[in-house]
Amino acid sequence: MTEMVNLTIDGRKIQAPPGTTVLEAARKEGIFIPTLCYHPALPPEGTCRLCIVEVSGSIRHSVRVSCIQEVKEGLVVETDTERLNHSRRLIIELMLGRSPEAKILQDLARRYGVTQNRFATGENNDCILCGRCVRVCRDEIGAYALCFVNRGPDRRLTTDFERLSEYCIGCGSCANVCPTGAIQVEDRGDQRKIYTWGQVLARFKLERCEHCGTPFAPKRYLELVNKRAYQPKGLELVEYVCPECFKKRDRVPEGRKAGALRQALKWSVPR
Amino acid sequence: MDVAAVEAILEKYPQVRGNLIGILHEVQNHFHYLPEAELRYISKRTGIPITQIYSIVNFYNRFSLTPKGRNEVCVCLGTACHVNGAEKVLNAIEEKLHIKPGETTDDMRYSLEEVRCIGACSLAPAVVINEETYGQVTPRQVGKLLDKYK
Repeated sequence: MTEMVNLTIDGRKIQAPPGTTVLEAARKEGIFIPTLCYHPALPPEGTCRLCIVEVSGSIRHSVRVSCIQEVKEGLVVETDTERLNHSRRLIIELMLGRSPEAKILQDLARRYGVTQNRFATGENNDCILCGRCVRVCRDEIGAYALCFVNRGPDRRLTTDFERLSEYCIGCGSCANVCPTGAIQVEDRGDQRKIYTWGQVLARFKLERCEHCGTPFAPKRYLELVNKRAYQPKGLELVEYVCPECFKKRDRVPEGRKAGALRQALKWSVPR
Repeated sequence: MDVAAVEAILEKYPQVRGNLIGILHEVQNHFHYLPEAELRYISKRTGIPITQIYSIVNFYNRFSLTPKGRNEVCVCLGTACHVNGAEKVLNAIEEKLHIKPGETTDDMRYSLEEVRCIGACSLAPAVVINEETYGQVTPRQVGKLLDKYK
Protein backbone atom coordinates (compact mmCIF):
# COMPACT_ATOMS: atom_id res chain seq x y z
CA MET A 1 0.00 0.00 0.00
CA THR A 2 1.22 3.43 -0.79
CA GLU A 3 2.15 5.75 2.00
CA MET A 4 -0.76 8.08 2.77
CA VAL A 5 -0.32 11.81 3.05
CA ASN A 6 -1.58 13.48 6.23
CA LEU A 7 -3.18 16.89 5.96
CA THR A 8 -5.79 19.03 7.65
CA ILE A 9 -8.79 20.47 5.82
CA ASP A 10 -11.08 22.80 7.74
CA GLY A 11 -9.73 21.44 10.99
CA ARG A 12 -10.33 17.83 10.02
CA LYS A 13 -7.40 15.42 9.95
CA ILE A 14 -7.44 13.71 6.57
CA GLN A 15 -5.41 11.04 4.86
CA ALA A 16 -5.13 10.97 1.10
CA PRO A 17 -3.00 9.03 -1.35
CA PRO A 18 -0.11 11.04 -2.81
CA GLY A 19 -0.90 12.71 -6.11
CA THR A 20 -4.50 13.52 -5.25
CA THR A 21 -5.48 17.14 -5.36
CA VAL A 22 -6.70 19.10 -2.38
CA LEU A 23 -10.08 19.42 -4.07
CA GLU A 24 -10.44 15.67 -4.52
CA ALA A 25 -9.39 15.01 -0.94
CA ALA A 26 -11.89 17.58 0.36
CA ARG A 27 -14.75 16.29 -1.78
CA LYS A 28 -14.09 12.76 -0.56
CA GLU A 29 -14.58 14.05 2.97
CA GLY A 30 -17.80 15.72 1.96
CA ILE A 31 -16.33 19.23 2.23
CA PHE A 32 -17.89 21.60 -0.28
CA ILE A 33 -15.62 23.67 -2.50
CA PRO A 34 -17.34 25.47 -5.39
CA THR A 35 -16.07 24.66 -8.88
CA LEU A 36 -17.05 25.36 -12.45
CA CYS A 37 -14.18 24.30 -14.67
CA TYR A 38 -13.39 21.16 -12.67
CA HIS A 39 -14.70 17.88 -14.04
CA PRO A 40 -13.69 14.55 -12.47
CA ALA A 41 -12.98 12.93 -15.84
CA LEU A 42 -10.88 15.75 -17.25
CA PRO A 43 -7.41 17.06 -16.51
CA PRO A 44 -7.74 20.09 -14.24
CA GLU A 45 -6.95 23.44 -15.75
CA GLY A 46 -7.62 25.89 -12.94
CA THR A 47 -9.38 28.44 -15.11
CA CYS A 48 -12.49 29.34 -13.11
CA ARG A 49 -10.60 30.09 -9.87
CA LEU A 50 -13.63 29.35 -7.71
CA CYS A 51 -11.98 26.42 -5.96
CA ILE A 52 -9.38 28.62 -4.28
CA VAL A 53 -8.34 27.60 -0.76
CA GLU A 54 -5.99 29.04 1.82
CA VAL A 55 -3.04 26.78 2.50
CA SER A 56 -0.41 26.93 5.21
CA GLY A 57 1.54 24.48 7.33
CA SER A 58 4.13 22.75 5.18
CA ILE A 59 4.03 25.44 2.47
CA ARG A 60 4.01 29.21 2.59
CA HIS A 61 0.67 30.64 3.64
CA SER A 62 -1.06 31.51 0.39
CA VAL A 63 -4.19 31.17 -1.69
CA ARG A 64 -4.00 28.24 -4.09
CA VAL A 65 -6.24 26.68 -6.68
CA SER A 66 -7.35 23.44 -5.04
CA CYS A 67 -8.15 21.56 -8.26
CA ILE A 68 -4.44 21.74 -9.15
CA GLN A 69 -2.74 21.88 -5.74
CA GLU A 70 -1.64 18.39 -4.73
CA VAL A 71 -1.90 17.15 -1.18
CA LYS A 72 1.25 17.45 0.87
CA GLU A 73 2.31 16.09 4.23
CA GLY A 74 1.41 18.55 6.97
CA LEU A 75 -0.65 20.82 4.74
CA VAL A 76 -3.27 22.89 6.52
CA VAL A 77 -6.15 23.91 4.27
CA GLU A 78 -9.01 26.30 4.89
CA THR A 79 -11.81 26.24 2.33
CA ASP A 80 -14.32 28.72 3.66
CA THR A 81 -12.63 31.85 5.03
CA GLU A 82 -13.82 35.42 4.58
CA ARG A 83 -10.78 36.20 2.44
CA LEU A 84 -11.67 33.37 0.05
CA ASN A 85 -15.34 34.16 -0.08
CA HIS A 86 -14.54 37.79 -0.81
CA SER A 87 -12.53 36.65 -3.83
CA ARG A 88 -15.21 34.18 -4.84
CA ARG A 89 -17.86 36.86 -4.77
CA LEU A 90 -15.75 38.97 -7.10
CA ILE A 91 -15.09 36.05 -9.45
CA ILE A 92 -18.78 35.19 -9.60
CA GLU A 93 -19.67 38.82 -10.25
CA LEU A 94 -17.10 39.06 -13.03
CA MET A 95 -18.55 35.96 -14.68
CA LEU A 96 -22.07 37.30 -14.27
CA GLY A 97 -20.98 40.37 -16.21
CA ARG A 98 -20.97 38.30 -19.38
CA SER A 99 -23.39 35.56 -18.43
CA PRO A 100 -26.09 37.12 -16.27
CA GLU A 101 -28.60 34.37 -17.01
CA ALA A 102 -26.46 31.28 -16.45
CA LYS A 103 -28.34 29.32 -13.82
CA ILE A 104 -25.30 27.80 -12.19
CA LEU A 105 -23.86 31.30 -11.70
CA GLN A 106 -27.10 32.62 -10.27
CA ASP A 107 -27.13 29.74 -7.76
CA LEU A 108 -23.55 30.51 -6.77
CA ALA A 109 -24.37 34.20 -6.51
CA ARG A 110 -27.18 33.39 -4.11
CA ARG A 111 -25.02 31.05 -2.07
CA TYR A 112 -22.21 33.58 -1.71
CA GLY A 113 -24.40 36.65 -1.45
CA VAL A 114 -23.49 38.41 -4.68
CA THR A 115 -26.10 41.11 -5.08
CA GLN A 116 -24.51 43.51 -7.55
CA ASN A 117 -23.54 43.19 -11.18
CA ARG A 118 -21.04 45.99 -11.63
CA PHE A 119 -19.36 44.42 -14.63
CA ALA A 120 -22.42 43.99 -16.83
CA THR A 121 -21.27 44.04 -20.44
CA GLY A 122 -24.70 43.94 -21.98
CA GLU A 123 -23.76 40.55 -23.33
CA ASN A 124 -25.77 37.50 -22.44
CA ASN A 125 -23.54 34.62 -23.37
CA ASP A 126 -23.75 31.60 -21.11
CA CYS A 127 -20.24 30.52 -21.99
CA ILE A 128 -17.98 31.18 -19.01
CA LEU A 129 -14.84 30.06 -20.86
CA CYS A 130 -14.11 27.25 -18.42
CA GLY A 131 -12.71 25.12 -21.23
CA ARG A 132 -14.38 21.85 -20.23
CA CYS A 133 -15.65 21.36 -23.78
CA VAL A 134 -12.25 22.04 -25.29
CA ARG A 135 -10.64 19.59 -22.89
CA VAL A 136 -13.15 16.77 -23.37
CA CYS A 137 -12.94 17.14 -27.15
CA ARG A 138 -9.17 17.13 -27.03
CA ASP A 139 -8.32 14.69 -24.26
CA GLU A 140 -11.21 12.24 -24.14
CA ILE A 141 -12.52 12.19 -27.69
CA GLY A 142 -9.34 13.22 -29.51
CA ALA A 143 -11.24 15.18 -32.14
CA TYR A 144 -9.66 18.62 -31.49
CA ALA A 145 -12.70 20.32 -32.96
CA LEU A 146 -13.02 23.21 -30.50
CA CYS A 147 -10.74 26.05 -29.53
CA PHE A 148 -10.70 29.42 -27.86
CA VAL A 149 -9.81 32.47 -29.91
CA ASN A 150 -8.70 35.98 -29.03
CA ARG A 151 -7.81 37.31 -25.62
CA GLY A 152 -9.33 39.06 -22.64
CA PRO A 153 -12.91 40.23 -23.11
CA ASP A 154 -12.88 39.04 -26.74
CA ARG A 155 -12.06 35.45 -25.83
CA ARG A 156 -14.66 33.03 -27.08
CA LEU A 157 -15.24 29.45 -28.08
CA THR A 158 -15.28 28.49 -31.74
CA THR A 159 -14.05 26.02 -34.34
CA ASP A 160 -11.12 26.39 -36.72
CA PHE A 161 -11.79 29.38 -38.96
CA GLU A 162 -15.23 29.66 -37.34
CA ARG A 163 -16.91 27.40 -39.86
CA LEU A 164 -18.75 24.11 -39.48
CA SER A 165 -16.17 21.79 -38.03
CA GLU A 166 -14.61 19.13 -40.19
CA TYR A 167 -13.11 17.47 -37.16
CA CYS A 168 -16.16 17.24 -34.94
CA ILE A 169 -17.52 13.70 -34.76
CA GLY A 170 -20.87 14.78 -33.35
CA CYS A 171 -20.62 12.95 -30.04
CA GLY A 172 -22.05 15.83 -28.04
CA SER A 173 -19.57 15.43 -25.18
CA CYS A 174 -18.93 19.16 -25.20
CA ALA A 175 -22.58 19.84 -24.45
CA ASN A 176 -22.64 17.18 -21.74
CA VAL A 177 -19.72 18.59 -19.80
CA CYS A 178 -20.74 22.23 -20.23
CA PRO A 179 -21.63 23.59 -16.77
CA THR A 180 -23.95 26.29 -18.10
CA GLY A 181 -25.56 24.77 -21.18
CA ALA A 182 -23.82 27.23 -23.48
CA ILE A 183 -23.29 24.44 -25.99
CA GLN A 184 -26.42 22.68 -27.14
CA VAL A 185 -27.06 19.56 -29.17
CA GLU A 186 -30.29 19.60 -31.09
CA ASP A 187 -31.58 16.46 -32.80
CA ARG A 188 -34.40 17.03 -35.21
CA GLY A 189 -35.43 14.04 -37.30
CA ASP A 190 -32.20 12.56 -38.57
CA GLN A 191 -30.28 15.82 -38.30
CA ARG A 192 -28.02 16.79 -35.42
CA LYS A 193 -26.93 20.34 -34.86
CA ILE A 194 -24.32 21.34 -32.30
CA TYR A 195 -24.37 25.04 -31.59
CA THR A 196 -23.26 27.73 -29.22
CA TRP A 197 -23.88 31.46 -28.94
CA GLY A 198 -24.16 32.85 -32.45
CA GLN A 199 -22.48 29.92 -34.16
CA VAL A 200 -23.41 26.48 -35.38
CA LEU A 201 -20.34 24.38 -34.63
CA ALA A 202 -21.26 21.27 -36.58
CA ARG A 203 -24.06 19.47 -38.38
CA PHE A 204 -24.56 15.75 -38.83
CA LYS A 205 -26.87 13.21 -40.31
CA LEU A 206 -27.88 10.64 -37.71
CA GLU A 207 -27.76 6.92 -38.44
CA ARG A 208 -30.91 4.97 -37.69
CA CYS A 209 -31.09 2.26 -35.06
CA GLU A 210 -31.43 -1.08 -36.80
CA HIS A 211 -34.02 -2.24 -34.27
CA CYS A 212 -36.40 0.63 -33.67
CA GLY A 213 -35.52 2.82 -36.63
CA THR A 214 -34.94 5.93 -34.53
CA PRO A 215 -32.07 8.11 -35.73
CA PHE A 216 -29.61 8.13 -32.82
CA ALA A 217 -25.94 8.80 -33.59
CA PRO A 218 -23.72 10.27 -36.30
CA LYS A 219 -21.64 7.86 -38.31
CA ARG A 220 -18.27 9.28 -37.30
CA TYR A 221 -19.16 8.88 -33.68
CA LEU A 222 -20.12 5.25 -34.20
CA GLU A 223 -16.80 4.75 -35.92
CA LEU A 224 -15.06 6.01 -32.81
CA VAL A 225 -17.13 3.66 -30.65
CA ASN A 226 -16.10 0.85 -32.91
CA LYS A 227 -12.46 1.80 -32.69
CA ARG A 228 -12.50 2.10 -28.92
CA ALA A 229 -14.82 -0.68 -27.81
CA TYR A 230 -14.65 -3.40 -30.39
CA GLN A 231 -11.49 -3.30 -32.42
CA PRO A 232 -9.16 -3.83 -29.44
CA LYS A 233 -11.03 -7.07 -28.87
CA GLY A 234 -10.69 -8.05 -32.51
CA LEU A 235 -14.36 -7.34 -33.18
CA GLU A 236 -16.28 -5.03 -35.45
CA LEU A 237 -19.36 -3.02 -34.66
CA VAL A 238 -21.65 -4.53 -37.25
CA GLU A 239 -25.02 -3.29 -36.10
CA TYR A 240 -26.17 0.16 -35.25
CA VAL A 241 -28.25 -0.22 -32.11
CA CYS A 242 -29.39 2.74 -30.10
CA PRO A 243 -28.74 2.74 -26.32
CA GLU A 244 -32.44 2.22 -25.59
CA CYS A 245 -32.69 -0.94 -27.67
CA PHE A 246 -29.34 -2.07 -26.37
CA LYS A 247 -30.62 -1.90 -22.81
CA LYS A 248 -33.77 -3.83 -23.69
CA ARG A 249 -31.93 -6.72 -25.20
CA ASP A 250 -32.24 -9.90 -23.19
CA ARG A 251 -28.80 -11.08 -24.12
CA VAL A 252 -25.65 -9.54 -25.38
CA PRO A 253 -24.65 -10.94 -28.77
CA GLU A 254 -21.87 -13.47 -28.93
CA GLY A 255 -18.45 -12.10 -28.07
CA ARG A 256 -19.66 -8.66 -26.97
CA LYS A 257 -19.78 -6.97 -23.68
CA ALA A 258 -22.58 -4.58 -22.83
CA GLY A 259 -20.18 -2.65 -20.65
CA ALA A 260 -17.90 -1.89 -23.55
CA LEU A 261 -20.58 -0.06 -25.46
CA ARG A 262 -21.79 1.76 -22.39
CA GLN A 263 -18.22 2.76 -21.67
CA ALA A 264 -17.77 4.04 -25.19
CA LEU A 265 -21.09 5.82 -25.08
CA LYS A 266 -20.63 7.30 -21.63
CA TRP A 267 -20.12 10.79 -22.96
CA SER A 268 -22.98 10.96 -25.39
CA VAL A 269 -25.68 9.58 -23.14
CA PRO A 270 -27.20 12.57 -21.36
CA ARG A 271 -26.89 12.34 -17.62
CA MET B 1 -1.01 27.55 -52.20
CA ASP B 2 2.74 27.89 -52.04
CA VAL B 3 3.86 24.48 -50.80
CA ALA B 4 7.51 25.07 -51.63
CA ALA B 5 7.71 28.18 -49.47
CA VAL B 6 6.09 26.47 -46.49
CA GLU B 7 8.26 23.38 -46.92
CA ALA B 8 11.38 25.53 -46.98
CA ILE B 9 10.35 27.07 -43.68
CA LEU B 10 9.39 23.75 -42.10
CA GLU B 11 12.74 22.29 -43.10
CA LYS B 12 14.47 24.75 -40.79
CA TYR B 13 12.60 23.33 -37.85
CA PRO B 14 13.15 19.60 -37.63
CA GLN B 15 11.67 19.62 -34.14
CA VAL B 16 8.21 21.04 -34.62
CA ARG B 17 6.82 20.98 -31.08
CA GLY B 18 7.87 24.18 -29.37
CA ASN B 19 8.77 25.84 -32.65
CA LEU B 20 5.30 26.46 -33.99
CA ILE B 21 5.41 30.15 -33.21
CA GLY B 22 8.78 30.49 -34.98
CA ILE B 23 7.33 28.73 -38.01
CA LEU B 24 4.27 30.96 -37.99
CA HIS B 25 6.47 34.06 -37.77
CA GLU B 26 8.36 33.03 -40.88
CA VAL B 27 5.19 32.20 -42.76
CA GLN B 28 3.74 35.55 -41.73
CA ASN B 29 6.88 37.34 -42.95
CA HIS B 30 6.83 35.49 -46.25
CA PHE B 31 3.16 35.99 -47.13
CA HIS B 32 2.55 39.15 -45.05
CA TYR B 33 -0.25 37.18 -43.41
CA LEU B 34 -1.20 33.61 -42.53
CA PRO B 35 -3.28 32.13 -45.33
CA GLU B 36 -5.77 29.45 -44.31
CA ALA B 37 -4.57 26.88 -46.84
CA GLU B 38 -0.98 27.22 -45.62
CA LEU B 39 -2.05 26.86 -41.98
CA ARG B 40 -4.01 23.73 -42.80
CA TYR B 41 -1.01 22.39 -44.65
CA ILE B 42 1.24 23.07 -41.64
CA SER B 43 -1.28 21.28 -39.44
CA LYS B 44 -1.22 18.22 -41.69
CA ARG B 45 2.55 18.18 -41.96
CA THR B 46 3.25 18.69 -38.27
CA GLY B 47 0.34 16.82 -36.74
CA ILE B 48 -0.58 19.86 -34.63
CA PRO B 49 -4.39 20.13 -34.71
CA ILE B 50 -5.62 23.10 -36.75
CA THR B 51 -7.75 24.29 -33.84
CA GLN B 52 -4.62 24.71 -31.71
CA ILE B 53 -2.85 26.60 -34.47
CA TYR B 54 -5.91 28.77 -35.00
CA SER B 55 -6.07 29.52 -31.30
CA ILE B 56 -2.42 30.62 -31.24
CA VAL B 57 -2.77 32.72 -34.38
CA ASN B 58 -5.71 34.54 -32.81
CA PHE B 59 -3.93 35.05 -29.52
CA TYR B 60 -0.95 37.03 -30.75
CA ASN B 61 -1.29 40.45 -32.30
CA ARG B 62 1.67 39.88 -34.59
CA PHE B 63 -0.20 37.24 -36.57
CA SER B 64 -2.80 38.19 -39.10
CA LEU B 65 -5.34 36.09 -40.94
CA THR B 66 -6.11 38.81 -43.46
CA PRO B 67 -3.62 39.96 -46.11
CA LYS B 68 -1.34 42.80 -45.04
CA GLY B 69 0.27 45.45 -47.21
CA ARG B 70 3.85 45.29 -48.44
CA ASN B 71 4.87 47.87 -45.88
CA GLU B 72 3.79 47.63 -42.30
CA VAL B 73 3.48 50.97 -40.54
CA CYS B 74 3.39 50.64 -36.75
CA VAL B 75 2.64 53.70 -34.67
CA CYS B 76 3.69 53.38 -31.07
CA LEU B 77 1.00 54.49 -28.64
CA GLY B 78 2.88 53.51 -25.48
CA THR B 79 2.93 55.92 -22.54
CA ALA B 80 5.95 57.99 -23.62
CA CYS B 81 4.84 58.25 -27.24
CA HIS B 82 1.30 59.00 -26.18
CA VAL B 83 2.33 62.01 -24.08
CA ASN B 84 4.59 63.20 -26.90
CA GLY B 85 1.73 63.39 -29.39
CA ALA B 86 1.62 59.96 -31.02
CA GLU B 87 -2.11 60.47 -31.48
CA LYS B 88 -1.45 63.38 -33.88
CA VAL B 89 1.09 61.36 -35.82
CA LEU B 90 -1.39 58.53 -36.10
CA ASN B 91 -4.11 60.90 -37.28
CA ALA B 92 -1.78 62.32 -39.93
CA ILE B 93 -1.00 58.83 -41.21
CA GLU B 94 -4.69 57.88 -41.18
CA GLU B 95 -5.48 60.97 -43.21
CA LYS B 96 -2.71 60.36 -45.70
CA LEU B 97 -3.51 56.66 -46.26
CA HIS B 98 -7.27 56.83 -45.72
CA ILE B 99 -7.19 53.77 -43.48
CA LYS B 100 -7.68 53.08 -39.79
CA PRO B 101 -5.36 51.00 -37.62
CA GLY B 102 -5.70 47.31 -38.49
CA GLU B 103 -6.55 48.11 -42.11
CA THR B 104 -4.64 47.89 -45.38
CA THR B 105 -4.71 50.27 -48.35
CA ASP B 106 -6.49 48.98 -51.45
CA ASP B 107 -3.26 48.95 -53.45
CA MET B 108 -1.70 46.69 -50.75
CA ARG B 109 1.08 49.21 -50.32
CA TYR B 110 0.60 49.96 -46.62
CA SER B 111 -0.90 48.40 -43.52
CA LEU B 112 -1.41 50.49 -40.43
CA GLU B 113 -1.07 49.11 -36.91
CA GLU B 114 -1.06 50.68 -33.50
CA VAL B 115 1.39 49.09 -31.07
CA ARG B 116 1.99 49.51 -27.34
CA CYS B 117 5.56 50.44 -26.50
CA ILE B 118 8.35 49.23 -28.71
CA GLY B 119 10.99 50.02 -26.10
CA ALA B 120 12.16 53.17 -27.87
CA CYS B 121 10.71 55.66 -25.40
CA SER B 122 13.68 58.02 -25.75
CA LEU B 123 12.67 58.45 -29.39
CA ALA B 124 9.03 59.20 -28.61
CA PRO B 125 6.87 59.51 -30.59
CA ALA B 126 8.17 56.55 -32.55
CA VAL B 127 6.98 54.94 -35.76
CA VAL B 128 8.26 51.63 -37.10
CA ILE B 129 7.97 50.95 -40.81
CA ASN B 130 8.93 47.40 -41.67
CA GLU B 131 12.19 46.98 -39.71
CA GLU B 132 13.11 50.66 -39.62
CA THR B 133 12.47 52.77 -36.51
CA TYR B 134 11.84 56.52 -36.78
CA GLY B 135 12.04 58.75 -33.72
CA GLN B 136 10.60 62.14 -32.80
CA VAL B 137 8.19 61.89 -35.69
CA THR B 138 6.05 64.98 -36.32
CA PRO B 139 2.75 64.93 -38.19
CA ARG B 140 4.37 67.06 -40.92
CA GLN B 141 7.09 64.46 -41.62
CA VAL B 142 4.61 61.69 -42.14
CA GLY B 143 4.07 62.24 -45.86
CA LYS B 144 7.74 62.13 -46.76
CA LEU B 145 8.36 59.17 -44.53
CA LEU B 146 5.64 57.09 -46.12
CA ASP B 147 6.63 58.00 -49.68
CA LYS B 148 9.95 56.22 -49.19
CA TYR B 149 8.17 52.89 -49.09
CA LYS B 150 6.86 51.66 -52.40
